[in-house]
Amino acid sequence: MSDVLEALINVGVLASAIRIATPLLLAALGEMVTERAGILNLGLEGTITVSAFGSFVVADKADSLWLGVLSGVGAGILLSLLMAVLVSSIKVEQVVAGLALNLFGIGMAFYLFRAVYPQTGGEMPRSDTFDFAEIPLLSDIPGVGEVVFSQHWLTYAAILACPALWYGLNRTQFGLELRSVGNNPAACDMRGINVTGMQYLALVFGGLMAGLAGAFLSVFLSGLFFVDVAAGRGWIALAIVIFGNWRIGRILAGSLFFGYLDAYQLSLQARGVDVPHQLLLALPFALTIAALVVNRRRSHEPLHLGVPYFRGER
Amino acid sequence: MNTDVPTTPGPSSGSLLRRSGWRLEKRLEVKPWHEVVTLVGAFIVGLAICSILIAASDKSVVDSYRALFDGAFGSRRAVYETLVQATPLIFTGLAAAFAFRARVWNIGGEGQFFAGAMGAFFVSNLWHAHLPRGVMVPVLFIAAAAAGALWASIAGLLKARYDTNEIITTVMLNFIILLILSYLLGDLWRSPDTFYFQTVTLPESAHLPLIVDGTRLHWGFGIAVAMAVVVHVVLRRTALGYEVRGVGINRTAGSYKGISVPRVTVLVMAISGALAGLAGAAEFSGIHHRLQLDISNNFGFVGIIIALIGRLHPAGVVVSAIAFGALVNGAVTMQIQTGIPAALVDVIQGLSLIFVLSGAVAVRYRLQRTHTDE
Repeated sequence: MSDVLEALINVGVLASAIRIATPLLLAALGEMVTERAGILNLGLEGTITVSAFGSFVVADKADSLWLGVLSGVGAGILLSLLMAVLVSSIKVEQVVAGLALNLFGIGMAFYLFRAVYPQTGGEMPRSDTFDFAEIPLLSDIPGVGEVVFSQHWLTYAAILACPALWYGLNRTQFGLELRSVGNNPAACDMRGINVTGMQYLALVFGGLMAGLAGAFLSVFLSGLFFVDVAAGRGWIALAIVIFGNWRIGRILAGSLFFGYLDAYQLSLQARGVDVPHQLLLALPFALTIAALVVNRRRSHEPLHLGVPYFRGER
Repeated sequence: MNTDVPTTPGPSSGSLLRRSGWRLEKRLEVKPWHEVVTLVGAFIVGLAICSILIAASDKSVVDSYRALFDGAFGSRRAVYETLVQATPLIFTGLAAAFAFRARVWNIGGEGQFFAGAMGAFFVSNLWHAHLPRGVMVPVLFIAAAAAGALWASIAGLLKARYDTNEIITTVMLNFIILLILSYLLGDLWRSPDTFYFQTVTLPESAHLPLIVDGTRLHWGFGIAVAMAVVVHVVLRRTALGYEVRGVGINRTAGSYKGISVPRVTVLVMAISGALAGLAGAAEFSGIHHRLQLDISNNFGFVGIIIALIGRLHPAGVVVSAIAFGALVNGAVTMQIQTGIPAALVDVIQGLSLIFVLSGAVAVRYRLQRTHTDE
């Protein structure tokens, strides 16, 4: 029992909660921007997997972690450009395009992985990983220093992206236009805003962020690639956007909360405490459904989310 | 469409296109052969791209595809195994097609598959010692359909009552049911003689009979094809089918015609879930005879793709499920003979879908020479 309580505030658990939250936050922020432009990208899981592979293989073969991150981001952007062509230009049903992207992306990543690293039965190939970026002085603060200021640089970047993104979306002309595209594309079109162009940009940003999330999984966390590397994180990120009601502050809180639940159950398992950890893992998904029901009257869901825009058709 | 001249051509805005003296025009009618050409074209483009992938890894393209084909259809045994692979996909494909006809986006086939398998295991585990096979097997199929329907109904009811997005709720329910199963496999349902997350293997009284002895081809395939006929009849010949199609074409108009949209939504979800649940029963009782976490090879999600490639038509679903079953089955042979990773099949499947989807839109347009230069 004391184990169960102690793990709740354990420094290691809190630090790993933030670490686990990082890819969720990155992908969710990107998806939120994409959705604000009216595109529901269900292909996050595939995008993350492809990026994780892109980062891994380049980091390993070119022996450069930074090039690895770059190519992961590139792979993410490439896949979301494909999505953009499908949904924004050709106007394929978004849900279906997203699912196709998942299948294609995960299959492609795994195919290429096996092509580059034939199955030998020996040890899994492993790339280098980034070291933790401990912030001087601040990381020496007892407790807080270990939890908050001894993380990866990408974690700091993800958290700092929140206020930047908030400013960009809510205080700039561009942000206003992007949000309008998701709410009323016809009106935007009339005002001379390029709806298709905006949606491309929003998807590319989403791909960039999902790419960073993928890179985080391979060249920051584990140095490994395997077919299930995303492990549902793309779907959880989608859930977080809804749970956070498309608002940045709540998305940050949601990511941290979901990350915390995961870190907590992991530490309980590691301590051999006999609790049904699956129930803790199911909580985010149940809460997301609950949030959909509870928030339905004050939902910030973009009005035109998931609906293809045809000029001249009503 | 309104009657004025389309000033914006085609699906993409095309100033480049216009300057070249061509423009895209919407076709007035799409003929069936247009669609067939699109489907075949999509498949060929998918294969062509995969050929590049194969060639890039220094393997013979012809040998690889021959191995793929041999593995799928090269012998009687291969054909049976292809049908075995197609069986769950027919069920989940029908599940998706039925829901999508009403424009109810059930993405939860994967979860409903597991709900069905769990329902089937639950009753088999309870009664297999007391019931003869002739009673046990139908009962476990009914239990699976009920469990699948029940699990899908959560999303259906939430949509009908609160207008929650069923795409999101069904996806969330997929994760929840898997975690519940994982919990049960680690606890109540875990077989006492193993450390793995699996149940006991049930005796013959809970096994679906085989169609051909000495193979794995079980009667689940027959049931799947029968369900395709049933779904077709329901859609074309019953009041419910009329309502389903009506809601799918236009929700608002449907409600003016006296169709209760919430009622149809819940019913469609339940029936779709039941079909996916049957897939779980067929795999459990026809192949595995016990529950594990990996009894589904993405059947729920692949079913969605099959439904779309099959144009949401039951016959189309059966054909594309067999084609996908052949790919999966042939890929194993291909991997053994040529060393090409079987994951190539996922790439082919994903690519075919992408091209089929694009083709389905593209077929509605045609290129037309513009009369006046701008």
